[in-house]
Amino acid sequence: MAAVQETVEAVAALEKYEHGFTTDIDQEFAPKGLSEDIVRFISAKKEEPQWMLDWRLDAYRRWLELEEPDWAKVNYPKIDYQDSYYYAAPKTKEGPKSLDEVDPEILAVYAKLGIPLREQEVLAGVEGAPRYAVDAVFDSVSVVTTFKKELAAVGVIFCSMSEAIREHGDLVKQYLGSVVPTSDNYFACLNSAVFSDGSFVYIPPGVRCPMELSTYFRINAKDSGQFERTLIIADKGAYCSYLEGCTAPMRDENQLHAAVVELVLLDDAEIKYSTVQNWYPGDPETGKGGIFNFVTKRADCRGDRSKVSWTQVETGSAVTWKYPSCVLRGEGSSGEFYSIAVTNGHQQADTGTKMIHLGANTRSRIVAKGISAGKSTSTYRGLVSAHPKAKGARNFTQCDSLLIGKTCAAHTIPYIEARNGQSVFEHEATTTRLSDDQLFYCQQRGLNQEEAVALLVNGFVKDVLQQLPMEFAVEAQKLVAISLEGSVG
Amino acid sequence: MSLALALKTGDVSRLPSRRDEDWRWTDLRGLIRTIPTESPAFLGDVGAGPFDALADGSVVIVNGWVREGDPAPETGVLALRFVSRGDATAHDAEFAVTVAPGQTLTVLESYEGQGAGGYLANIGLDFSVGEGARLERIVLVDDLADAVTVSTADVALAPGARFAQTILTTGARRQRLETRVAHPGAHAELRLDGIYLLDKQRHADLTTQVTHGGVDGTTSQLTKGMVDDQARGVFQGRIIVQPGADQTDARMGHHALIMSDKAEVDAKPELLIFADDVSCAHGNTIGALDEQAIFYARQRGIPELEARAMLTEAFVGEVVERIEHEPARQLARAWVAQHLGRSIL
Repeated sequence: MAAVQETVEAVAALEKYEHGFTTDIDQEFAPKGLSEDIVRFISAKKEEPQWMLDWRLDAYRRWLELEEPDWAKVNYPKIDYQDSYYYAAPKTKEGPKSLDEVDPEILAVYAKLGIPLREQEVLAGVEGAPRYAVDAVFDSVSVVTTFKKELAAVGVIFCSMSEAIREHGDLVKQYLGSVVPTSDNYFACLNSAVFSDGSFVYIPPGVRCPMELSTYFRINAKDSGQFERTLIIADKGAYCSYLEGCTAPMRDENQLHAAVVELVLLDDAEIKYSTVQNWYPGDPETGKGGIFNFVTKRADCRGDRSKVSWTQVETGSAVTWKYPSCVLRGEGSSGEFYSIAVTNGHQQADTGTKMIHLGANTRSRIVAKGISAGKSTSTYRGLVSAHPKAKGARNFTQCDSLLIGKTCAAHTIPYIEARNGQSVFEHEATTTRLSDDQLFYCQQRGLNQEEAVALLVNGFVKDVLQQLPMEFAVEAQKLVAISLEGSVG
Repeated sequence: MSLALALKTGDVSRLPSRRDEDWRWTDLRGLIRTIPTESPAFLGDVGAGPFDALADGSVVIVNGWVREGDPAPETGVLALRFVSRGDATAHDAEFAVTVAPGQTLTVLESYEGQGAGGYLANIGLDFSVGEGARLERIVLVDDLADAVTVSTADVALAPGARFAQTILTTGARRQRLETRVAHPGAHAELRLDGIYLLDKQRHADLTTQVTHGGVDGTTSQLTKGMVDDQARGVFQGRIIVQPGADQTDARMGHHALIMSDKAEVDAKPELLIFADDVSCAHGNTIGALDEQAIFYARQRGIPELEARAMLTEAFVGEVVERIEHEPARQLARAWVAQHLGRSIL
């Protein structure tokens, strides 16, 4: 019963959004609003070269001509793009040299969130325990990146995007925007103009990254948006596993998070990208506040036999608009997408994936589990397409939706486009509610209703949880239980 | 945006295009440059319809004009013929069928393209099925290769009604066969099936939308298709379960075979669910014929072409077997065999 007891305690202790605290830190803002001057301001703040500024300005001008997309099954008030800060950074000495120079308040935030920023803290654990390097992004800037030296010893570059632009300009210039072009979509274009930080990873040929890499995103400042940009390049035969986590304070106003993640995979490379997204979902009763999470994530499997795997646990955000995609260009490349989307209260999630088969013998697998409770809406939207040259392409898709309560909704909208005669596509989807029989069975054996729901839901999402790195899987399991707290009865 | 509106106004910009989400794979705007002139009335002989021998009475509509004849039977079997004899012209046709409470009617509907020129046909149908009534609709579509046809059927079911439909088509230059059903739940039963067998540059789009508005409704959908050469098959199925429509049981299946590397199949099976006590599922598979099965057949002395036809016939046969009206089922079986190049002795 220990595990169950632990869940109960976790649920009881965290009746509300656990990470909703705010921190008063002396911060520096760009003036509110968006204009070419703001773009220049951000670029100047980051001491960027001219080519980067030109790239941003080009994106900004394109963005002005684009229209905000309205096809997703989400409703939200019109965003006033002039009523937000596009740059917010903790006031600190330029580029802290060590952790001791970082504002203790910020360190306290990460300590509270349980993110190890001191390398010795990570090492202090049980001998042989998995280690992971962290890039901590606080509002618009990266405050610290750990284990850089150890990673550099094997040739792995892991740093913040601003640092990469300054120190690895050639690599950034070569790959930035090559997977998600500036004018790809409205939010990606906005991000290209104003992105402030994010992580940059380069794994050299044949290197297996010795530890898990992770980024922890925190929005803190009021009325600000977060626009991070992540670029991961896995050279020939390289491997890395990357984790991403995010939280934000509870506020009555909506805040915008528009990120872009680009993955580049050359021959025989492999990237495993896991996300636990836990932005503030808004007030569960009134739906007030919460983060608008409009994210573009795409992996380009350029090399033959490369492999990418997206795993996501989406429990937060008021509105989610996110379709991590795989462009399977290299012969024999493969893409995987495992997703759990939990919505409760007034949350809305329109999420899914795109598997674009361009090369021969490419394979993809999609397992998406959606759980809706309260007054929420959860939509799976996915595209699987095979080009005439993608002979021997294979796809398997499974989308299951679980409904808890009378006022929620679950939708499944898959698009399948098959353009050659030697591919196989299989898709299946189901929508059901939590079975009364199963609930009754669990309750009969002494579990209360909430424990029974947690148990059944964990069984429902098991296929996806198994794909997460171990330490994330435990956290994700608790998160799913907590997100659904109070949804039954 | 609709073909009807474009025909009425003569304005091509009213035609649905790829930019309209529901028409993304059936682009009329990009195909039709100008709205053709109206098809003239044709008074000559149009020959016998495919279902004439099975029907108690028939209604013949040629180029949008209803031919004079006996009134349509209200029970039993009605043969409903839409004959198009155009020469690069356009026409509109409408027809309504009402089945009184407790009655049973079978509608055997045929689309017949005659003559040599292409045509643009827009057909609107209304089906109203009364309480406890039963209606089975079997649609045989044989359009000309350069025809553009849009047929839209609106079906309203009363509590306890039963509506079953099977569409069999060989496609056209562009063809859209859409069925929209208002399902009240209340023990009403719905079956929506379809078969498309396409070759050369033919295109067929089978679109359905079922809206479950009340408790206790069932829907069963099965569409199967085969595309060869440069043909394109489209399936769009949408099942909506409105708030409160509990105990809905809806299943949707679409399975297609692609025989050539230039053929294409596009599918969008959608479930939009606003009620929690439901059981809804859809399945979709697209692929080639099993090479091992072909090898097996060839080993036993069956030539490859015949083996392919035989396997395809078996594949789509599952849909044919769901037709309840026995003589129509036999006719459908023969139609499939004929289009796959096999003759049934």
